[in-house]
Amino acid sequence: MSAEGAAPRHPGAEGQLTAGAALTLEGLTAGYDSRPVVNEVSITVAPGEIVSVVGPNGSGKSTLLKAVIGIVQVLGGRVRLDDQEITGWLPEDVARAGVGYVPQVDDVFPPLTVRENLEMGGYLLPTREVQSRLDEVVTVFPRLATMLGRRAGKISGGERKMLAMARAMMLHPRLFVLDEPTANLAPAVASEVLEEHVRGLARRGATALIVEQRARAVLAISDRTYVLAGGRLRMEGSPEELRSSPQFVASFLGGSAGVADIVSESEPGSPP
Amino acid sequence: MSLLLASLGFGLVTAAVLALATVGFTLQFAVTDVLNLAFGAVMIVAAYVAYWVNQAGISVWLGLVAAAIVGSLLSLVLNRFIYAPFQRRRTSSIALVIVALGLTLILEFGLQAFVGGTSVSYQLAQGPTVGSGGFQLTVVQLVIIALALAAMVAVHALLTFTRLGKAMRATAANRSLARTCGIRSDRVVTVTWLLSGALCGVAGTVFAVDAGSFNATSADLFLVLILAAAFLGGPGKAYGAMLGALVIGLATEVSAAYISPAYKDVVAFVLLFAMLAWRPTGLLGDRA
Repeated sequence: MSAEGAAPRHPGAEGQLTAGAALTLEGLTAGYDSRPVVNEVSITVAPGEIVSVVGPNGSGKSTLLKAVIGIVQVLGGRVRLDDQEITGWLPEDVARAGVGYVPQVDDVFPPLTVRENLEMGGYLLPTREVQSRLDEVVTVFPRLATMLGRRAGKISGGERKMLAMARAMMLHPRLFVLDEPTANLAPAVASEVLEEHVRGLARRGATALIVEQRARAVLAISDRTYVLAGGRLRMEGSPEELRSSPQFVASFLGGSAGVADIVSESEPGSPP
Repeated sequence: MSLLLASLGFGLVTAAVLALATVGFTLQFAVTDVLNLAFGAVMIVAAYVAYWVNQAGISVWLGLVAAAIVGSLLSLVLNRFIYAPFQRRRTSSIALVIVALGLTLILEFGLQAFVGGTSVSYQLAQGPTVGSGGFQLTVVQLVIIALALAAMVAVHALLTFTRLGKAMRATAANRSLARTCGIRSDRVVTVTWLLSGALCGVAGTVFAVDAGSFNATSADLFLVLILAAAFLGGPGKAYGAMLGALVIGLATEVSAAYISPAYKDVVAFVLLFAMLAWRPTGLLGDRA
């Protein structure tokens, strides 16, 4: 179940958007005001892989992603993007290194139009390339083409999430970091976001690290999944392996037991 | 009727001065997260710079350029050495307001210690009066209105058509998200202090021109009008600031003509209270 052995599902897929980068977290500890929320988390994402992190509320999933992209203080460990260490970099420098981030909430600029949001996504592109890149991205999310002049604060939750992903795509990111892309969405819209758009990234060969509460749905699009609880990694495996884990099924796929069983019975990093 | 037309004329001039100041103030607030109550004090420092240039025998309109530069640099210095260090220490917004009030006193009374307590005036001919009926404006008043219109068009063009302006709006809307797009928000904030400080300097000079005479504490009451206009339009909304300035400017001057000049600031705040009761986010603010 180690990352080294995992073969990316989508290498060289047609219509590839980006040349994916490898992400490595080595014993990452991060938190707020020097108080750790996640402890010694080690995760690897190979180029072209879709790797997900699932866990209960308050397990530190969002904090983990924010530490990767530089919003939250890293207290220990290392973050590497390919061979470059980006530990503790400012968010703007992480973006320049090729990481596209979609936050869980506040994921668009509400007063700006959809077009302006996309332009901000392409802020680091040469000015002459922004329009052509915007045209390319809109072909991936055709519904956005009909609302380019509308204020982002006035579109629906599903459309906002689509816009947030499109904005992140503007920069040709080598790695997508998606924080609960289905949060606060109605079930049907959440399915659309995961099935069409996140899976769409996968089909195009993108590398992505996704945090998600809807474990069943995210397993369907992941190459590998980590389980985070109480700020520590508790399990890791392919979707097939996790689906065959009674503990995982009980905690995340509708079984009778709870997450507490995973926390109490598993050692950090151990297989299910 | 002629009284109404005359007061509308005065109202337009007041609105023009107020718009210059309020747009600068609200841009500053939106992008930097600082409710800079020292804005009025910086206006007056800049107005004195224009006065000193004017005293050297140079046109006050050239003095206005010097005032814009000084307003810009002084605002940058205030942020670099006062506000930014407090923000880095995560000082609360209310504590920053107290800091700003303290800065106002330091700047105003520091200036007063230097220039004295008597009022001064620019050497400036008002020029011929134009208009018809009661609606009469001097050439200088027309220049003030034209300056304000030009500044509003420039601010609109900046915010709407330029990469920097969009980055300013993005930073104002969500600084953290802007940074994850690669926008160096610290630089955007610095540029915002420079631009809003320049507007502050221009506003200080035209305020002094419009007032006729001024001293180190003349902008205290005007700051109250700036706040009223900014919050009337919607805090942090540039276009709201323009609209708020127009409403407050016209309302204060018309009420001065029909009620009493002593109550014109009261009218501004009655309007503001009524607006906040009806629409708490201001004229152009997002509905809660």
